[in-house]
Amino acid sequence: MPLALALSPFLVLGFGALLIMLAEAFGSRRGGMALGSTIVLFATGLTAAGLWMYGLENLKGLEAVAPWLLLDRFTLFFQMLLCLGSALAALTAGGYLPEHELDRGEFYALLLFATFGAMMVSASGDLLTLFLGLETMSLGAYAMTAFRKASPRATEGALKYFLLGSFAAAILLYGFALLYGATGHTDLAGISKVLRAGAVKDPMVVTSLVLILVGLVFKVSAVPFHAWTPDAYEGAPTPATTYMAVVVKAGAFAMMLRILLTAFGDAQSMSWSAGWPPVLAGIAVLTMTVANLVAGRQESVKRMLAYSSIAHAGYLLVGVVATMRAPQQAGASVLFYLLGYTVSTAGAFAALVLCGSRGRETVSYEDLAGIGRRHPAVALPLAFFALSLAGIPPTVGFFAKWFVFRAAVESGFYVLTIVAFLNSVLGAYYYIRVLVYMYMREPAVGAPVAVPMRSGYVVAAVILSAVMVIVLGVAPSDTLDVAVAAALSPG
Amino acid sequence: MTLNADYESPRRSEANATPKLDERIGHPMTLLPTYAPVFLIMAVAAALAGLFFILASVLGKKNPTPEKMIPFECGSESSGGNHVKLSVKFYLTAILFVVFDIETVFIYPWAVQFRSLGALGLASMGTFLAVIAVALVYIWKKGALEWET
Repeated sequence: MPLALALSPFLVLGFGALLIMLAEAFGSRRGGMALGSTIVLFATGLTAAGLWMYGLENLKGLEAVAPWLLLDRFTLFFQMLLCLGSALAALTAGGYLPEHELDRGEFYALLLFATFGAMMVSASGDLLTLFLGLETMSLGAYAMTAFRKASPRATEGALKYFLLGSFAAAILLYGFALLYGATGHTDLAGISKVLRAGAVKDPMVVTSLVLILVGLVFKVSAVPFHAWTPDAYEGAPTPATTYMAVVVKAGAFAMMLRILLTAFGDAQSMSWSAGWPPVLAGIAVLTMTVANLVAGRQESVKRMLAYSSIAHAGYLLVGVVATMRAPQQAGASVLFYLLGYTVSTAGAFAALVLCGSRGRETVSYEDLAGIGRRHPAVALPLAFFALSLAGIPPTVGFFAKWFVFRAAVESGFYVLTIVAFLNSVLGAYYYIRVLVYMYMREPAVGAPVAVPMRSGYVVAAVILSAVMVIVLGVAPSDTLDVAVAAALSPG
Repeated sequence: MTLNADYESPRRSEANATPKLDERIGHPMTLLPTYAPVFLIMAVAAALAGLFFILASVLGKKNPTPEKMIPFECGSESSGGNHVKLSVKFYLTAILFVVFDIETVFIYPWAVQFRSLGALGLASMGTFLAVIAVALVYIWKKGALEWET
C-alpha cells in the first residue's frame, strides 16, 4: 500500500486521463472537458504536494519499482511543475479550441497522456522507462501540434517536429544502446558505478555520451538543434504551443539532469577537461546568442515566443553547466528557473490567445498595434508576462535569472555569466517591442483590427499565472527552498 | 521483491565476474573475428543475388513488342491513373491490429512466468489489460471499428 501511495500521482493522472477519454467518447457535451482535465491535473499536482509534505522517507517499499521509477523529491517537484504547466495549457485550450472551431475532445486526452509520459521521464532511473516516457510525451505533443488538420502550416510544423523528433529519439536510443553495450547496465545508477570503475575512458562511452547529448539538446530545442521549433510553435494551436514550450521542455530538462547527474555524475564526466560541461557551455552560448538575435527579427509574436523559449533553454543550460561545481545550488536554480519560465510563458501564450478571436487570431506585432488603448484589460497581462520573460523585477523572471547567474558566478563561470547577462539585456529588446506595439502604435489603415475573445478558462489561466509570477517574484525564498530540497546530487 | 528476481539475476552474476571492460565487450578489432562469419554470409548473399540479376539481364533473350510493353493488368486493358488512393481505413485497421498484437506479445511471457511473478505480476497485467479494454471501448464508441462509414 505505501507503494500505491507513492505512485498515487501517476495513478490519479492515469485514471483521470482514461476517464476523460471515455467521457469524451460517451458524452454529448464538449464544454466540461477542459474543466475536467484541469481538475485531474490539479488533483495530480496536489497529490504530489501531499506526498512532499508527508515525506517519501516515511513510505516503505519504494525500491520495488526502482530503478524503473525513482520516487524522490526531484520526481515530486517535476510532477507538480508538469501538472501546473499542463493545467495552464488545458485552461487555455478550454477557451481557444471552441473559439477557433477546433473543439475536439481528443486534445485533452492527448494532453493528459503526454503529461503522464513527461512525469514518467522525470521519475525514471532506467534508460528503458526513460525512453518509454519520452515517446509517450512526444507522441502526444506531435498529435497536438497537428491538431489544426486543415491548415498546411500546422501540418508542415507537425511533420517537421515529428520527423526531426524521431531522428533525435533514434540518435538518443543509439546512444543508450552503446552505453548499455559498454557498461552492461540500463539503470542509471549501475551505469554510473561501472563508469566510476574506469569504463569512462572507453571510446564507446564517449561516443554514447555525444549521441545522448545530441538527443537531449534536441528535446530542449537548443541551437543548433532548434530548427523545428519556430515552425512547430507557430503552426500548432496556441494551447499546444504552450504545452510544447512548457511541459515538453521541463520534461526534457528533467531527463537531462537525471542522465547527466546520475549516470554521468563521476569526476571525469563532470570535469571541464574531459566531460560534458564544456560541450553544454558552448551550446548554451550559441543558443542564447543565436536565439536572441533571431528573435528580434521576427514579425510574428508566436515565432518570437518560440525563439524566446530557445533563448530560455540557453539560460537553463548555463545552470546545468554550473551543476558541475555546485550541484545543489545550480540544480535548484535550474528547477526554480523552470517554474518561473513555466508560469511566465504559459501566461504569455494565454494572454496572446485572449487578444484575438475567431478569424482574427493575433499572431504578429501588427495585430497587437493599439490594443493597449482599445482593450487595456487584455493588453496589461501580455505586457506583464513579457516583462517577466525579459527578467524585470519584481516578476519571477528576474529572480529566476538571478539565481541561475549567481550559481554560475559562484561556480566560477564568469565568462559564461557575462555572456548570459548580455544576452538577457539583448532579449529585453523584443519583449519590450510587444509593449511598444500595444501602447504606442496604431493599426495601419484598413488592416484587420484585433478583437479580444471572452473566455472564463483563458482568464483563469492568465490570473493563475499572473498571481504566481507576482508571488514567486516578491517572495521567492520558500519556493527556492523547495527547489533546493528537490535538486539532484551527482552519482 | 519477486517481480525483480528475474531481472536482477544477470546483474548478480556479473558482479561475481571481474568487470574488466575490454574482456567483456572486447576491443573493436577483437570483435571483428567474432562477427566475420556474419559479414561473410552477408557478402555471399549480396554477391549471389547480384549475380542472378546480372546473369538474367545478360543471358536472357529480349524481344520487346508493343504488346509486351504495356502494363500488365490481368489481361484486360489498363485504365485509370497509376496513383490509386487507398482508403485510410486500412491504416486505421492496421494500427489497431498492431496495438492488440503487442498486447499478446506482453501476455505470453507473463503467462509463462505467471507463478514466479505472483500477485504483483497479476495486478500489473490486470491494470494493463484494463487500460487496453478502455481503449477498445473508446475506439468502438468512436466508430473506428465500423468498416462502412
